Formats: sequence, structure tokens, C-alpha cells
Amino acid sequence: MFAYIIRRLWQIVPTMLGVILLIFFLFNVVGGDPAYLLAGKISNPEQIANIRKQLGIDEPYYIQLWIFFKQVVTFNFGQSWSTNEYVSSIFATRLPASLMIGIPLLILETIIAIGIALSVAYVRGSLTDRSVMVGCTIAQSISILVYIIVFQYVLAYKFGWFPVQGWGNGFFENLFKYSALPVLIALVVSLAPNIRLYRTFLLDEMNQDYVRTARAKGLTERRVMLLHVLRNASIPIITNLMIQLPGLLVGLFLIERFFSIPGIGREVILSVERSDFPVIKAITVYVALATMLANLAADLLYKAVDPRVELK
Amino acid sequence: MTTPLLSVKNLRVTFRIDRKNTFEALKGVSFDVMPNETVALVGESGSGKSVTSLAILGLLPKENAKVDAGSRIDFDGKNLLSLSKSEIRELRGDKISMIFQEPMSSLNPVFTVGYQIKEVLKEHKNLTGDAAQKRAIALLKEVGIPSAEERIDYYPHQMSGGQQQRVMIAMAIACEPKLLIADEPTTALDVTIQKQILDLIAEIQKKHGMSVLFITHDLAVVGDIADRVVVMRSGDIKEQGTTKEVFANPKDDYTKALLSCRPVVDSRPKRLPVIEDFMAGRAEAMRLEQRSRGVKESDPIVLEVKGLAKDFYSRDGLFGKKTFHAAKDVSFKLRRGKTLGLVGESGSGKTTVGLTVMRLHDATHGEAWFDGKNIFAMSEKEFLPYKKRIQIVFQNPYASLNPRFTVGQILMEPMIIHNIGKDGADRSKMAFELLSKVGLPEMSFYKYPHEFSGGQRQRIAIARCLTMKPDILICDESVSALDVSVQAQVLNLLQDLQDEFGLSYIFISHDLAVVKYMSDEVMVMSNGEVVEHRDSDALYAAPQHDYTRKLLDSIPKGLHA
Amino acid sequence: MNTAVMNPSIGIERSPGLWSLAWKRLIADKIAVISLAIVILFLSLALASFVGLIAKGWNNEVGVNYAPPTWFKGSAPTEDLSKKQAVNPTGPSLDTGLAKPEFVNDRDPLRETVNELKQQLGQSAGANSVDEIKIVDPLADVIAELKKKLGRVGDEGEKETESTRLQTLAFGADKWGRSVFDKVVKGSETSITVGFAAAIVATLIGTFLGALAGYYGGKVDDALNWFYSIFNSIPYILLVLAIAAVLNKKGILTVVLILGLTGWASIFRVVRAEYIKHKARDYVRAANAIGASHSRRMFVHIFPNISHVVLVQLSLYVVIFIKSEVILSYLGFGVGVDTVSWGSMLNEAQNELILGYWWQLGAATLFMAILVTAFSLFTDALRDALDPKLK
Repeated sequence: MFAYIIRRLWQIVPTMLGVILLIFFLFNVVGGDPAYLLAGKISNPEQIANIRKQLGIDEPYYIQLWIFFKQVVTFNFGQSWSTNEYVSSIFATRLPASLMIGIPLLILETIIAIGIALSVAYVRGSLTDRSVMVGCTIAQSISILVYIIVFQYVLAYKFGWFPVQGWGNGFFENLFKYSALPVLIALVVSLAPNIRLYRTFLLDEMNQDYVRTARAKGLTERRVMLLHVLRNASIPIITNLMIQLPGLLVGLFLIERFFSIPGIGREVILSVERSDFPVIKAITVYVALATMLANLAADLLYKAVDPRVELK
Repeated sequence: MTTPLLSVKNLRVTFRIDRKNTFEALKGVSFDVMPNETVALVGESGSGKSVTSLAILGLLPKENAKVDAGSRIDFDGKNLLSLSKSEIRELRGDKISMIFQEPMSSLNPVFTVGYQIKEVLKEHKNLTGDAAQKRAIALLKEVGIPSAEERIDYYPHQMSGGQQQRVMIAMAIACEPKLLIADEPTTALDVTIQKQILDLIAEIQKKHGMSVLFITHDLAVVGDIADRVVVMRSGDIKEQGTTKEVFANPKDDYTKALLSCRPVVDSRPKRLPVIEDFMAGRAEAMRLEQRSRGVKESDPIVLEVKGLAKDFYSRDGLFGKKTFHAAKDVSFKLRRGKTLGLVGESGSGKTTVGLTVMRLHDATHGEAWFDGKNIFAMSEKEFLPYKKRIQIVFQNPYASLNPRFTVGQILMEPMIIHNIGKDGADRSKMAFELLSKVGLPEMSFYKYPHEFSGGQRQRIAIARCLTMKPDILICDESVSALDVSVQAQVLNLLQDLQDEFGLSYIFISHDLAVVKYMSDEVMVMSNGEVVEHRDSDALYAAPQHDYTRKLLDSIPKGLHA
Repeated sequence: MNTAVMNPSIGIERSPGLWSLAWKRLIADKIAVISLAIVILFLSLALASFVGLIAKGWNNEVGVNYAPPTWFKGSAPTEDLSKKQAVNPTGPSLDTGLAKPEFVNDRDPLRETVNELKQQLGQSAGANSVDEIKIVDPLADVIAELKKKLGRVGDEGEKETESTRLQTLAFGADKWGRSVFDKVVKGSETSITVGFAAAIVATLIGTFLGALAGYYGGKVDDALNWFYSIFNSIPYILLVLAIAAVLNKKGILTVVLILGLTGWASIFRVVRAEYIKHKARDYVRAANAIGASHSRRMFVHIFPNISHVVLVQLSLYVVIFIKSEVILSYLGFGVGVDTVSWGSMLNEAQNELILGYWWQLGAATLFMAILVTAFSLFTDALRDALDPKLK
């Protein structure tokens, strides 16, 4: 177990180096001299000169790479090009809002999706099953943009049930007032694909021999489905959840943007619009790291759910 | 006469395949199981034997299976087909229980075996806590699980296949059922384990006075344990009677063929009689014409393997590497026109040897001298001209033919690769000849593999090898996946080809009787090592090694036991 | 029947292969046939629009500003508005219309919110065009903008604005009076082009690398897997946005490259797994035994057996990329202003919705939903038809 964790952490190193190389290649090699990009955006030539110096633009690539590498390791990406805010403080101040939307969403979505998937998987092939599946397909076909535009217009603007946008300072104010509609929209958008996915997981398990054994033992259908099938299906479901986790940080960028929620996702869009490279670079590198750690956590959780897994 | 415990009357089951097509799996099956009796339901694949067992428990898939309204299954005075869902559920696991073919997949992998046994006790006997724990341990002890107190907390994957099947049996007898249905309970197990499980079922049946409905494809297995035999074929019952009657004096041609087409260790007819032979009435004559086997020092050697070893590696710990010795120091000589049998249980390394000899695995050590050269020392390119001279027929006929190729393409591909034949027309002519040689109609040339049965596919695979006129043919469990009647046909074909072309075979199988029938010499392997290697008649008559003796003792003897 | 002629001596028809069996299963499925028909309809629409048979003049102002859909003519507030627009072309700019109480006073209580919202939304919609001078003559502004963007000859645009414009259009008109129907058709062309082209790029890369990694294993696999894990560890949308930020260039080709070059990871994983599974199968071992070369085993033997997986992945990609393109174009990182995309339509429609002009939103949503639904249903049916065991 211990050896396994050490080895997995060790395996993260080359991948992380690859991510650094990729980001470096994109921003320093393809992106080129920031002076051109920033010409229209920053009026102060001194500031541009300073940025160029920080990046070591006039130095050979390996020096630039070394500078970038040091930034990653020391968690010091300097200041944003457009707001001069420190990148580390951007992280610290934007993360809570993203989590405030992401965590309730993940919990609600998982419970509801599993519930619906269980009920349709149980009556597989029936009219209910087929209609829910077609419904999911249609729901999935509509762009998330449309959901946001329409829900915001109808529920917030027309009916006034929710604030149109905004973010407060109080925890409960944010949780119940400002994040309610964003979470609702994200829920509607993410339910359809998850129901389909979980239904497949459940159906895979329902075709296994042990289900036949459980029925031959005379267990009730309830017990067969909720205990035997669900316990086994939870293995792929957990993997799926863990993989979704880091994506939540940036995946809700559209919602954050529409509702003016100061989260990481909105920060990404703003930075892309402003060509604010330090912020994009930092977010990409650290979200990649978070993804790798989440994958490791998923494998460890595996062990807890599936006794067959041996972490060697 | 006592009333039967289970009485199946005119059972008809239809499956819906798609919107238009249906398939009649059972065409009116009737048989009885008396109290305290073991009845064997015997049939090959597609006979409907498993459908029958699932119908009794009401476990047929409700989406596409339909039981005819005129059918009846009476159990203990009740018609099971007219019971409500919850009534039949209460019977399951309590009065009627069932064990299945694959113990590994039939147990839920994420619960301990103890939990799964206690689950039955709670459901039907309302037994929980210490009482359930005690009963579960007692059950595990009864089915012969050593240190049951500890193993009750094991997960299924921590146990061997034989132990898993014992757990299944413990679960099945937990509520002292009146009827135990055993659906091919030993097919997935090694021959020595098979014997133990068969003995266990027989013992438990006697002790608890249960009835057992034993479902199998292998008549030989039931000779020891069944009181009566029901022979099924394509949804019909061909013959039923007491085991003695059916074995000693079978009436139906199909039963006769089933009984005699399976090779036995004490007789080696020149060809195995199949159903057609019984229909034509020439089977008796065939049985008398025997074949003699064995090798002489003067027989020319085609392949000599010296010190073959094959290791596999897996990761262990932080930096460690674990080595698994799949084959250790295997040496043998293969003589022209002779068969070397390679026998052993799963994991013995017999397949590894076969694959390594033809370089589908790289040997870790050793030499293989063929045509004056060591083929293990050759580069891939140097080996190519030799490659066609050593060919292989695999076990699974459904996997060994490329499903996207027509049979014609399958047969002509090796000819193209090795420049055999002048042109396309020449090659297709040769392919047609080979098809008729292996007993397939000409039009097979244009068909795809999925249109053929398992036996036919194995013939195609053999024909593919013959296109390259090999010296050596490796048969890796080539007949193991086939029904016995089809197996006999393929074995006869292999015999004929050996007689005609003087092929040398390396015949790999777990089935001792088949190996005995086919081989001049036999090598017995266990844990990667050769434990005994002699002329086949001598080896079977007087086994020297303990392991060989144990293997031979486990062969089901039919009624002769 | 041809084959019967080809082999008269045998006189049997050539057996159906797995592909033709799958095709038979596919066309036996009603949903599959209908969705396939819809997809083909969209494809021909896109093709017709590409060669200029329809929607050629999507950029012409054929109707009055915000002309309502023909069948929606009776509706009161919008009709009023459009008439006013038609009579008085020098009226207040609709771009700033939100700020003008005479047009939105029915929503007076919410005006502040609207303004706030507009400012927020305007960030990507070109809010910097708010200018006092332009309010006086909004059309001049619009024309100038268009001219600038399209490099179109001045008097041509002039002429169109002078000529009589339609009061209503089949699907209504946008801010500048362009036909929503033409725009949505042109948008289909963009989406379908991007979706298919990017899907093909991603599939080619992912399949090729996946085949190499899965088939050879060992060092090749380690190297390619490392490459894959880099792409896999960065959330897809983040990578796409990062590249968009760096390229800082708009256009269909850019979008295709961004989506295709970043999206290959998922098919890589699937194809690699398939190759690992298949290379251990007996038919591939048998091919090895008869002396077939590596490339022959990889492409002649294995590939046809996994091609259905590739095909299903390809069509999944089409759906994903169409959706991604819409988002990119919405954000202004996608196709340029010289073409139209459902995403840019949604961007415009978002502002219009607050004014009550819902038709551009409706049309873009409807077209996209129909195409994507049909394509997804077709993909599902395709998967079932190709792999009947799964069902």
C-alpha cells in the first residue's frame, strides 16, 4: 500500500514535467514575445519591459524554461499582467466560490443520477426506460448556453425567484441565495449524461452471474438491486466522480461567467480574453496536478470498495 | 410408488430473438425427480438443459422468454409456474437451491463468503448474529473448507476455484433444501478438483436426503452419482431411464453415440464412432479395429527441444520484480508422424511450452533444434521460412478465425505470405481441395466464420494450417471447447490427416482420456515441470509419479466405477 | 446477385459480412433510420450552403431590424417595435436600446438589473461600441462596422439598406435585419464542418497512436502513454481555452485544429485498450503463426475488427465538437466575424432575449438540438447495430 502510493506519486513527476513542457511550448514558443500581445492592452512600456525581463524573453529557451520551472515549484507566478494582483492571491480568493457551486452540485447530481439510473435500469427495455433515454439524449443536445440564457431569463429575470447574478460575502447567503440557480442549471445540464453513464454501469452488473445467484438464493429484488448490484456498480461510479472532481474547478466557467461568480472558471475566461498568461499558466499547471492527485485518490478509494484490487 | 418431488410436464419455452424471430428452446419436456434421488440431465450445447433448470427456479429472463401455458412444473404439490413472484422467491434458496458452472463469477466479488452465506440464513430462516455465524462456519466445515473460522471472512477471489464451488454448495444447502439443482458444477474445474466436488455432492445428497438434479454435458461424469439419466438434444428428451439401463443398454442412437464417442483410457479404436456410424450400423465393427501407439528409437526426429524455460515477470513492491516460472527445463524429442501428448491441469505450463516452441512466446532459456538449426536463436526474419512448418490450432474456435475475413481469404492468406501457388486461381483451387479434405462443403469458401459451428470452425483452422504443409502441428486444447460428438469428429479428422501426411503432433490437453487416445508419448506437467514422460500405453498402465497417479484416479469412469 | 454471376459454378450468393449484417440491423431500427435521414438532411443543407445554393446572402439585411417570424406577426409588442424601426430608421440604437426607457418602460422596475446584466454580458459582445455619436445614426454605424469587417464595397451595402425591407421573415430577422433562417443554415454549415473536420483530425491522431501503443506495448506504449497522460491531466476545456489564448486567432481552421489536436486523448485510450485486447486474441496469434508481418496484423487483421469502435468514437466526437465549437464561438474565441456560427448567434440572441426578441435564440437552439439529437440517437443505434451483444 505504502509502496504503491510512493510509486504512484513518483509516476506523477514525469507527467507533471510533460505538462510543464507543454505549457511552456504553448506560451513561450508558440505564444512568442508578449510585447506584441500586450501592446494594445498595457500602455506603460516600462511594465512591458518588466514582464519581458521576468520571463527572460531575451534569454535562450532553456533559461526561460528554467524560470518557468522555478515558478511552478515555488508556487510563485508573480503578478497578473492586467490586474497586478498576485496569482497566488487570485487562487486563494477564487477557489471558495468555485467550490461553493461545485460541491453541492456534485452531491446532488450523484444522488439524483444514481436514483434515476437505478429505476430505469431495473425496467430496462420498457417504455419508461426508452423515453427517459431519449429524453436524456435530447436534453444533452441542447447547448449549456441555452440552458443558462433561458433559465436566467425566465427564473431570475422574469419570475424573480432567484437573483439574476451576483455574489455576496456571507457563507449562507452565497450557498442558498446566489448559488441556488447556478447549481440548478448545472444539475440540469449534468444529469442527462450521468444518468446514461450510470445506467450502463448498472446494466453491466445486472448481467453478471452473481446476480443470478442472488436471485437463486431467494433474495428480494430490492436487496438484489440496492445491495448486490449497486455495491458493484459503485466501483466505476466512484472512478467517474473522482475524474470529474478537478474538472469542476474550471468546468463551470460558463455558469460562473453568466452569474458573475468570482470563481476559478470565470478567472480563466477573463484571463484568456485579456491574454493574461501568468494566470492561465498557473491555473493549467495546478489543475493538472490536482487531476493527477484525484486519480491517485480514485485508485485508493477503489481499494476500499473493491476487495479484489491489490495496490502493488 | 411414491409421488415425485419434482415433476416437469410438457415444458415448452420459446425465446424471442428479435421482433420477428423466435426460437423454441424446449419442445415439451417431461421428467420426474423422486425424493432422495439424483437425476442427471445430460445434453450437449443447445440441448435446453440449462433452460430447464432456470425455468424450474423461475429465473428465465422475463423480457424475452415465454413459457407455454400448457406447461407444468409440480414441486411438492404446487405448480411452480402458477406461483406468484414472491411465493417462488420464498422457495428459492430455501426448498430449491442451485449451484452454477462458474463459481468465481457466481459469487459476488465485493462481499465475504461468510456474508453471502449468512444472507441466505437471514432471508429464509431469520437467523442473524452469532447463531448465523455459527451455522455458516458449520456449513463451511461440512463442505470441507479447512480452517473455516478464518476463511469465513475471505472474499471469493482469495479462494481457489474448488473452494469457491464448495462455498456455493454451502450456500445452497444452508436451508436444507429438498432439491439441489447443479448446473455443470464441475465443468470449469480441473479434473482432480472435479472429482472432489462430485464426491462432495454425492455425500451431501446422502446425508441430507436431498434430491439432486445434476445438469451436465458429460455422460461419464454422471455414471458414479446419478440414479437416473435424462438425455436431451435440441429441446427434446431422447431417452430416459435408470443409469444402469442407459449405460448398459442405450436405445437411442444419439445416446449410444454420446456413450461411445468419448475416448476412454482402456480402448483405442482406429476411429471414434460418431452418430452417423450408429445410424449406418457400423459402429460395432469400428470399436473392434484398434490402433497401436508408441515410439521406437529408430523413428526420425523432427524437433528436439532442450532445456526450454519461460519466465514471466510482474511488479512487486517499490522496485521489486516477481518472476513466475511458467515452464522449467522442458526437454523432449518429437518424432515424424508421431504424437507427443502434453497433459496437466490449469497453470501447469503446458500451453506455455506449446506457444514457446513455435516462438509465439520468446523462450527465456533453451534450444529447439529443427531441421538442423536452433530456431530459438534465429532472428524474426531468419525464422520466417521455418514458421510455416510449425503450425498451431488453438482452443477457442470462436476466437481463432478473423471474423472479418471470408473462409477463402483465411485459407489463401498464408499462401500469399509464403508464396505458395502461382496465382489467385491456383490458390483458390488449393483452398477448395483443402476444404473438401477437412470435410467442409465447397461453398464454405465464400462464407464468414460466424456462419459456422464450433466444430466446423476448428476444421477451418486446421485447413488453414494445412495450406502451409507443416511438419509439426501443435494442438493447444483444440478439441476442449467442443461437444463430445463434435470432438470425436475432429479427433478422427486429425487422425486421418496424420495417417495421410505423416504430420507430427504436439497434442496439449487437460483431458487425460483424449490425450491417451491421440498420443504415442505423453508428458505430464505440473507447476511448469515435467513430472513424467513415457510411452503413452506404459504411462497409463503403470504411472510412476504420484501426481500422474492422482490425475488418472480422477478420470470419471462412467458406470465402470 | 453479382456474386452469383461471378461464381456460376457454385450458384450461391456471397454471404453477408459483418458490416452488411450490421447495416441490416441498423435499417431495421426505425429511430436509426429517421435520425440518419435528419443527419443526411443537415449534411445536404450544409453542402448546399457551402456551394452557395442557399443562405448565400445571410449577411444581407433583407428584413427590418428584428423582423418577427412570419407566423408570429400578430404578436403585439414586437410588431409595434418593428414598425417603428421600419418607419424611423434613424431611431435609437438597439444596441443601447436597453438604456432607453421608451422601449423598455414596461420593464421599468427591473431596468437597473437589466443595465447591470447588460454590462456584464456586454463584455464579450463588443460593449465598446456604445458610443454617443452612434446612437444618432445606428444604421450608419452598423454598416460601417460591417464594411470594416467584411471589406465589402460600400455602395452595395448602402443599396440594400435603402431598398424596401421585409416586415416579416420566415424565422425572423436579427438586429441588423439579416434573415435568421439564412444565418442558422450558414451556422449549420460552420458547425458541421468544424464538427466533422475536427472529429476526423482527432480520430486519425488518436487511432494511429492508440494502435501503436496498444499493439507494440513496452517502451512505445510507455512513451505514448506519457504523452497521453499529459493531455489527459489537463481538463479538456482548459486546454482548449489556453490554446485559444495563445493562438489569439479566429477562424474555422483554428477551431478545427484546437479541437482536433486536443481531443485525441479519449479515442487513444479506447483504441489502445482494443489493440491490447485483440493482440492477445487467437486470430492474431494465428496470423503471427502463419507469418503475417506486424503492420499486416495491425492494420489488415486487427483494425477491421475494431473499426466499429473507431466509428462510434468518431460520431461521439462530432457531437462533442459541435457543442464545443458553439461555446468557443459564443465566447468569441471561435470562428471569426466573417462567418456565422450557432455560438455567435446565441451570443447575439442573449441580448435580444431581454428585449423580447427570442427568435434567433429559438432558431439556433432548435437547429442545434435537432442535429445533435439525431446524431446522438444515430450513434447509439450504430453502436447497437455494430455490437449486438451489448444490448
